[in-house]
Amino acid sequence: MDFNLSEEQQSLREEIIRFARKELNEGVIERDRAQYFPHDLWMKCGEMGLQGLPVPVEYGGSGLDPLTTAIAMEALGYGCEDGGLTFAIAAHLLACVVPVWKHGSEAQKKRYLPGLCNGGLIAVNGITEAASGSDVFSMATTAMATDTGYMLNGSKTFSSNGPVADLALIYASTDAEKGYRGGISAFLVEKNTPGYRSGQRFEKMGLRTCSIGELVLEDVQVPADAMLGEIGTAAVIFAESMAWERICLVACHVGTMERLLEQAINYARTRKTGGQPIGKMQAISHRIADMKIRLEATRLLVYRAASRLGDSWEIDLDAAIAKIHASEALVKTAMDTMQILGGYGFMVDYGVERVLRDAMASTIYSGTSEVQRNIIGRWLGL
Amino acid sequence: MATNTQTIKDTVKNYLMTEFLPGEDPNDLTDTTPLVTGGILDSISTFKLVGFLHSKFDVKLNANEIANHLNTLNDITDIVQAKQGVA
Repeated sequence: MDFNLSEEQQSLREEIIRFARKELNEGVIERDRAQYFPHDLWMKCGEMGLQGLPVPVEYGGSGLDPLTTAIAMEALGYGCEDGGLTFAIAAHLLACVVPVWKHGSEAQKKRYLPGLCNGGLIAVNGITEAASGSDVFSMATTAMATDTGYMLNGSKTFSSNGPVADLALIYASTDAEKGYRGGISAFLVEKNTPGYRSGQRFEKMGLRTCSIGELVLEDVQVPADAMLGEIGTAAVIFAESMAWERICLVACHVGTMERLLEQAINYARTRKTGGQPIGKMQAISHRIADMKIRLEATRLLVYRAASRLGDSWEIDLDAAIAKIHASEALVKTAMDTMQILGGYGFMVDYGVERVLRDAMASTIYSGTSEVQRNIIGRWLGL
Repeated sequence: MATNTQTIKDTVKNYLMTEFLPGEDPNDLTDTTPLVTGGILDSISTFKLVGFLHSKFDVKLNANEIANHLNTLNDITDIVQAKQGVA
């Protein structure tokens, strides 16, 4: 496998980094403090095409292959210091836009994808419920068949972008006996549909510029053509979207880790103690060397997984490996950077504490580290 | 190239016994034993099977086929042959 970037990929990477640094970073400390979702910046990202990277051009996307999509997300993670905004874009794109692109009817794709790609529409993935976290398919939300379509009832929680979303991808039980084995279906619910509303908005430790909250569905009547894919196929739709998310979302971590590494190196080269830069001390240089090793290993895992996206269902294993490694590497790298920067790292102005707070969520969302290890174990025949 | 019915059935049965039913009696796995609704295949093992069918028989299954056409050895054989016929 050759993962040297092509001229086009290099150019795209540089363009996204330039854009992110110029447009997305100013005021991030205040936004984080206020838990403010920057809708204006979301729209700018839409103009850049970030919300539709892999979607075919005919539907308003950029038509990138999965590896180039991951490279673009890595560039966003490197250039953008607003981890909540990066996460909001990734959750929208990978858990909502990709399923619509992959499984939507032609009418659904024409109706929703242009807006989802250009920033005009924000999407939320509604699967997690209060009583079923990692066991996502033990859901209580139901979709009962009616004369004109389906009636949805239930609630979802920890839904990224929920409070600001225009379109919800709701997973609901259409056959309780079958469960995930053909009994879960997916529906596209527009925000103005009677009975649908955004519930409680949560205050969080990190990712504070991404709005996360509850979704409430009370006798929500949707037409039959609101179903995404065929009845009972949502477990497969969800699994596919998680493969995309576990690879391309953590591609952002690669970029963030590279930014932290550079920050740590710059500090270690200029901060002096005892008359010499602290980087000359092995306690520091070895820690930074480990950060570099971690970065390059993560990048290879992510690129390898991204290059295989769409080829085979064995991607489920690759995605789990990439996700767990990248998320745990990001936490460790953020902690290492803080340790190297000492008291400065602990100060809000330096941005490291924010990355660390954001990173803590990465071993939880999109399947916890424990879930990823379960998946890997199962693929190994255990 | 299309694969004959018995070859598909034997290959898939051998895979299922090795991967998901180690130590079990092969005679207990018949052509109509419910794999999904019987709990032999969960979501992860279903995707492993789908990956196996792809690599072994060069067939790619869509969401509906994965959700609804893998419950027995007979079902699996039928869908593999149908997909090979289409190809």
